Amino acid sequence: MFLFLAVAVFSFVLMTYQSRKGHTLSVDFTGGLLNSMHAATQSVTDAIKRPFRMIALRDAENTALKKRVQELLLEREKYREAMLEDKRLRELLALRERHKDYVATARVIARGIDNWTHTFFLDKGSADGIGKDMTAITPKGLAGKITSVTGSYSRLLLLNDINFSASVRLQGSRTEGVLSGTGTSRCILKYVSFEEPVKAGEIVITSGLDMLFPPGIPVGYVSKVGGRADESNFQYLEVQPFQDSAEMEEVIIVK
Amino acid sequence: MRYLFLAIAVLLAFFLQGRISVLGISPDLTALVVFYTGLRYGETKGLLLGIITGAIEDSLSLSFIGPHMLSKAIIGFSSYFFVSGGLLRWTPVLGIFSVAFLTFTDNLVVFLTKAMFDRMPALFSTALFVSFMQSLLNAPAGIFIRPKHVD
Repeated sequence: MFLFLAVAVFSFVLMTYQSRKGHTLSVDFTGGLLNSMHAATQSVTDAIKRPFRMIALRDAENTALKKRVQELLLEREKYREAMLEDKRLRELLALRERHKDYVATARVIARGIDNWTHTFFLDKGSADGIGKDMTAITPKGLAGKITSVTGSYSRLLLLNDINFSASVRLQGSRTEGVLSGTGTSRCILKYVSFEEPVKAGEIVITSGLDMLFPPGIPVGYVSKVGGRADESNFQYLEVQPFQDSAEMEEVIIVK
Repeated sequence: MRYLFLAIAVLLAFFLQGRISVLGISPDLTALVVFYTGLRYGETKGLLLGIITGAIEDSLSLSFIGPHMLSKAIIGFSSYFFVSGGLLRWTPVLGIFSVAFLTFTDNLVVFLTKAMFDRMPALFSTALFVSFMQSLLNAPAGIFIRPKHVD
């Protein structure tokens, strides 16, 4: 109690003195100390926070940049697709100009529903002048023949279908044969005599003797010379078509 | 209403089948529609839809009528008879296996009938590869196509 009274009296005396004489005891030194401590704490906190903030900032920036890269890639793909389409169409145009018996240019809209028949549906039909047994070609070579036609659509039988046959010849030796589909990606060249020398890599073109396909259209190249076929007098020759059906998008129909 | 739904489903299956392909092989969506019909509405309806769908498929595939008709009828009939409780009780895993197995059977039946009555449509190894790939493509649908009593 005494101590409390003493403190109270001392406080009143001190406050009375200071109200008359001004502040006698400065606390600025504590402020400075505290500020230094705050600054030190702040710098330590900043030092700890900075990497995390940078990471967050980089993450945001990274996300934005990734998004931008995706957009640019998509845009580039669009341009590339347009460029490729332009190239394809130019090739088709050149091909069209080379063939006087040009009928129509058709786009592949669907493939046949059956696993065992290799056919495509085209977006042009008899309304565009397409008829049965007409030839479909691409800038790479023979694609197939038209097997059925409706007003607006037609069906293309591909080279590798087992029902496909064409009269062909080897470009170098002028040896004739019959090209048949096998149901796989390759065709076979039949009825080439065992005595005819055939080398792998020889180009196969249509001969026109079947009165179906115009002569001179590139078909493929001999990919395998397999010797005598089934004890007969003919050779077993495999032909790899130039035109891969999986890559076919547009074809030109010629008479 | 049910018949209209099935007709639309078959039409859509034919349409999409010509548009989708993985490695040059399309999923057999018509087989899935027939499987669904057999599983949900019984073997008779499955069989009938299989015959109709197969006949359309045969006429669309530049072939003689019969191979697809037979194979789809097998799917429609056996999907109910074997899977929907007749012989085995349906589970998602059984669904996957049965769709894969029936798709494979469908291909094999078409291949063999064509080889017997017309000419071999492809080499046997190619046929096996194509059938296997198509079975794999169709298999996941087996989880979602379930019989009525499971719902």
